[in-house]
Order: sequence, then structure tokens, then C-alpha cells
Amino acid sequence: MTEVVIPRPILDDMIAHARELAPHECCGLLAGTEGMVHRLYRIKNIVALEGAHYLSSFDAAKIAHLERLSPAERAEIAFVMDMQDFSLAKKDMRQRGLDLLVVYHSHPHDPARPSGTDIKIATDYEEIWPKINLAVPSYLLISLMNGEPEIKNYWIKSGHVSPAPLVIL
Amino acid sequence: MIKVRIPTPLRPLTKNQGEVSVVAASIEDLVNQLEAAYPGIKARLCDDKGELRRFINIYVNEEDIRFLKGKDTTLKTGDEVSIVPAIAGGSP
Repeated sequence: MTEVVIPRPILDDMIAHARELAPHECCGLLAGTEGMVHRLYRIKNIVALEGAHYLSSFDAAKIAHLERLSPAERAEIAFVMDMQDFSLAKKDMRQRGLDLLVVYHSHPHDPARPSGTDIKIATDYEEIWPKINLAVPSYLLISLMNGEPEIKNYWIKSGHVSPAPLVIL
Repeated sequence: MIKVRIPTPLRPLTKNQGEVSVVAASIEDLVNQLEAAYPGIKARLCDDKGELRRFINIYVNEEDIRFLKGKDTTLKTGDEVSIVPAIAGGSP
């Protein structure tokens, strides 16, 4: 697998996104060519929208947990991408000749590693990417649990997580 | 017949089938046909006004219906429709 290269201004924009939405989780996409990120797309986290958590691949335990929380609190421990935003981003990528490289989200209170929920949903999504004409992206996590943001990138394949090489330019 | 790909979260409604076939002339027709065969599925896909919910995409042959004619998008035999759930995740 090739490494992902993120220019510093794009990395800073992603960290700013995470900080602006904290304590809620942010989510977005990075697109580019041949592993080099050229563009960031902020995507709205709509987990608080009525019924949103039913139509993602959350497991029963996560759904039960989310339902014990208020809509605002749900966004502290989960994200659901606004798929209208996603489609607009996908269309823009196609027009610019960019590939989707990375799906990112933040963990405001937890470490920069995929949760059980992240792994399950990424695994479910593996069969969807080729059907919508996109390569399987890597998954980047931004943790804000300590003072300095911690950023790590992973491949999630068939339920297995491995580090994905990340270079900041 | 139109092939419709059903995502994992909706499979409990389709007797665990990942793909079903329906006869339909448009997306609106297809959703109504699905509802007739698998009651409850329409409410998961559309809001009270019949508009596609924001946490779902429907693709016809890899094109989002939002960029075609929405629920009025016409279908022809051999088209493949994919219902795509939102990308999601969360901390522990």
C-alpha cells in the first residue's frame, strides 16, 4: 500500500475542524492523486438527526447506548456522515480528477485508534466502495484527549486494523 | 427487472437478502414496490414528504439519484440500484 502524504495546511485545517466541533466528533474526506492529498472536504456529522443511527451499521449495543443519550450527546461518541455532503464531495472529486484517499474523524475524548464500531462499519463498507466507483480509503483518527492532537492513519480490512503510512509535508 | 442492492442495516427487513429484484419504472415506484414486498423499508429510506433521508444514498448504475432526477429518476431493465448507508463510526 502506498503512503498518504498530507500537506501541512490541509493537516492544520483538519485539526481545526476537530477542535471547532469538540466535544462533538467531526468527520470528512481527503482526496488527491497517487497518495498525495490535494483537498479536504468537511462533511456534516448528522448522528443527532432523527433515525440516523438506525441506518448506519451500528451494532445493537451501540444503538442502545446512543438511545440513552440526548441527540447532542450522541455526537460526542459517534458520527454519521451527511450523505448529501458526501455525494457533493464525490462529484467534486470526479470533476477535479481526484481520488478519495482518506476518511477522517475525531475522537474528542478517546485515543487515535479505531473503535470496535469504526472497525465493524469500515468492514461492512468494504463491499460498497467498488460499487460506488471508489477505492477503499484509509481511515484517519484525530484524538483530542490530550493537549496536543494525536493523528494516526489505518487500513481496516476484513476486521483487521493495520497502521497506514502517513507523511506530513 | 431491476436489481437492488440492500445494505446490511436493512437486511433484517428483506429476510436477510443482500440483493432483491423488482419491476419498477422509477425510483419512487421502486421504493413503493420494495415497501409492498418488505413493509417498513420506505420509512427507513424516505422522510414523511417522500424525500430521501440525508443519511442514505441511492445510486443508479453508480450515479447518485440526487444528480439525476431524484425520486423521479427513470429506470429500465438491467439497471442496478444500490442503497448505500452512511459512512459512520464512533469512539468506544
